[in-house]
This record gives sequence, structure tokens and C-alpha cells, in this order.
Amino acid sequence: MVRRSVLAALVLVALALLTVSFRSPTSGALHDVQGYGATALRPFQVAAERVARPFRDVYGYFDGLSKAKSENARLRREVREWQAVASQSVANERQVAELKRLLHFEEGPTFPQDYRSVNTTVISFPNGPFAQEVTIEAGSSSGIRFGTPVVTADGLIGHVTNVSPHTATVTLLTDPTSAVTARDVTAGVNGLIRHGQGSTLILDQVPKQLPIAKNDIVVTLGTIDKHYPDLYPRGIPIGTVQSVGISDTASYLSVQVTPFARFESLDAVAALVPKNRK
Amino acid sequence: MSALDGVKAAVLLFVAAILQVSIFADVHVLGGAPDILLVTLVAVALLRGSIVGALGGFFAGLLVDTATLGTLGLTALVLTIAGYWIGRYGETTGRDRGHAPFTSVAVVTVLYLFGVVIVHFVLGEYTAAGPVARGLLPEIAWNLILTAPVYALVRRLLRPLDRGDYATEVQLLG
Repeated sequence: MVRRSVLAALVLVALALLTVSFRSPTSGALHDVQGYGATALRPFQVAAERVARPFRDVYGYFDGLSKAKSENARLRREVREWQAVASQSVANERQVAELKRLLHFEEGPTFPQDYRSVNTTVISFPNGPFAQEVTIEAGSSSGIRFGTPVVTADGLIGHVTNVSPHTATVTLLTDPTSAVTARDVTAGVNGLIRHGQGSTLILDQVPKQLPIAKNDIVVTLGTIDKHYPDLYPRGIPIGTVQSVGISDTASYLSVQVTPFARFESLDAVAALVPKNRK
Repeated sequence: MSALDGVKAAVLLFVAAILQVSIFADVHVLGGAPDILLVTLVAVALLRGSIVGALGGFFAGLLVDTATLGTLGLTALVLTIAGYWIGRYGETTGRDRGHAPFTSVAVVTVLYLFGVVIVHFVLGEYTAAGPVARGLLPEIAWNLILTAPVYALVRRLLRPLDRGDYATEVQLLG
């Protein structure tokens, strides 16, 4: 009898917490208490992460060694290709800047010049197949807000969906609820980045007649929202087109994108905070 | 159970929860990640029964939900039921059985993963059994590998109770 009463009481409390938390996930008294709790747990998470880091580094070192030879050959080939692209880009960039000046072109904040990066580490990782979220060791006290974009050195990984004073939750691009307006800069085509199979992404909403090709580069399109003005500035690298499929029944192209960021080994990340925010 | 045992169990589950969210959740080999928290909860529940199992599951789940800023109560709900169920097994048919920790870990890994799927489904969130099914065998294997050392450690800290301390509602013959 006592056992069942204890179980029933705990289940009821858990259901009550679940209901309140689900209805108001980013605000309210319970969220504040959760934020304080997360702040209190942060030193323990950081300590555990630091203890594990040498082991991770050793694993990463040997894992990298095993792939180094083939990766080196691939990178050398890519460097040659990118050098040609880079020299062309420099010339284009100067021309664009000059044209913008002549046209008095109006635009919102752009990446990276209008943003400062809050560099931080990941202190907890997705727990289970449905939790495509990580917790980072920086929060509202560092200027991070709901919607703040988060990147690695490779590219975009997601945006902040929950903030406490010293930690924040980042929902990854691989989460089913994520959707990012994106642009294939090679083809000049816009679409919507959604999660795909495994750690791949899908560039959705691309009409069939548009000329997307393999290895095209996809970046954020740059959305402007009055509530979340810093959500995904224009030009953050997302990935490259891996394959383009077309079928008679589908309304859009099936474009699979390989992300630049390695979601399976996130460590150091940067939250992009507008320079005019403290 | 003494207050000291309660403190020991709480510390064990606290450490396991921190290790799980900070380290083990990121260890993916062959599509599965070990769940040291679940294994520790199973060991505590087997050694201390259903009430401690349920309380421990609730406490550990709240820690995970708080540390990850996730939906508060979600993990707590599933782990509470898991802890209670394993505790009952330990109090009744599982007592004094050498294979009990391994059987419990294998079964509760499956129930826990699909329990989370069900809660997500009830909440109307994205859910699919496919990724769970694909990662199931590696996760069971990982958890079984962890079972022996974790159970030995927990058993060292929480000595098995006398028969008289167990539940009396179910009597075993022999």
C-alpha cells in the first residue's frame, strides 16, 4: 500500500511538472527554478566534461590518425579548388561593396561583421534519439537570448531555445522542429533547410525547374523577424549539396545537404550576439 | 533502509546523472550510447527495493531534465516507473538471482527507450520508433557491459538487505 502510494504521488508530481513545463517551456516560475537548478549543476557538468576531455582528445587523436592519409589527399584537392574560388570571391566582394555604396543599398546586420561571438563549450549532449539539443556553458548574462544563432568553426549548428543566466539550450539543425531559410549561393536558389536521415539535412521547397547541382554551397538566407531580430543572419555556412533527386509525384526537388558542422562531435561553439548588445 | 543508505543512493544517482548528461550521452558507437544512469538506477532499485527505486528514478530524472533544460518531469516520469518496476522485481522474483541485474538492465533499457517514445507521442511531439529500434541492440550491449562494474560498486556501497527487510506481500517458497 505504501509502495503504491509513493509511486502514485511521484507519478502525479512528475505529470504536474510535465504539464506546466510543456505549456510554458521558456518562461514562468518553474522555468526560473529550472534555470537556477541548471546554474547550480553547471560546475559539476563542467568538472565532468573537463575530466573526460583528455580521454576524448586521445580518442580523437588516434581516430584522426587512422583517417589522416586519405583526408590529406582530399583536402589538398579541395584547397586547389577553393583557391580558385577564393580569388574570384575577393574580386566579387570588392565589386559588390562598391555597387552597394553607389546604390545606397539598405540591409540588416550581416554575418560576421555585425556580430560578436560568445565562445563557449558544450556541457551536455543529446540524451536519446529525440533530443537534438545540447546545453552550452553561457547564458543570458553573456548576452545570449532566445533565438541566438550558434555556430562552430565549420558552420551553423542551430539556435538557442531556452536560456538561464549561465547556460542555454541549443536546438540543433538536426532537430525535427528546426527550419532555416537557406540559399544555394552557387545556383542562387532559396529553400528551407530541414532535418534529414541521420545527420544529413534536406533543402526543401525548391521548385523542380531550378538548377541545383552536387557540391553547391548552402548558407543561411537571413530572416528578419521583429520578435527575434537576430535569428540566423545572412551568410552563415550550412553545408554542401550531396545529391539532388527528382520524382514525378513530388512538388519539389529532393535536395540532400551534408552539413559543414560535425553534429556528432560538438565541443567548442560560438553564440552570435549582435555587437550592439551587451 | 538507514538515512546513510539514502544519502549514498542519492550521491550515486547524482554522480551518474552528471556523468550521463556530460559524458556518456556523447559516446556513440555503432548507433548506441551507454546509459550509466539507468544502470545505476537498476542497481540501486534491485538492492533497496521499489520505494527507493521510484524515489531514485524521480530524483535522477529531475536532475537530467534540469541539467539539460529539457521538459521538466519527462525523464523523471519514465525513470520513476522504471525504478519502481525494477525495485519490485528485486523484492520478489529477482532476489538472490545472479542474472537479475543483467536481465533487469536489458529489459529496462527497452522499456525506458520506448517509454520515452510514448511520452513524446502523448505530448504530440515528433517521435519515431525507427531510430530507437536501430540503436536498441548497441545500447543494450553497452548497458550490459556497464552492468557488472556498476552493480559491484553499488553493491559495495549499499550492502544487500536481510530477507526480513524485503517486501512481505510476496512470499517465495523454498
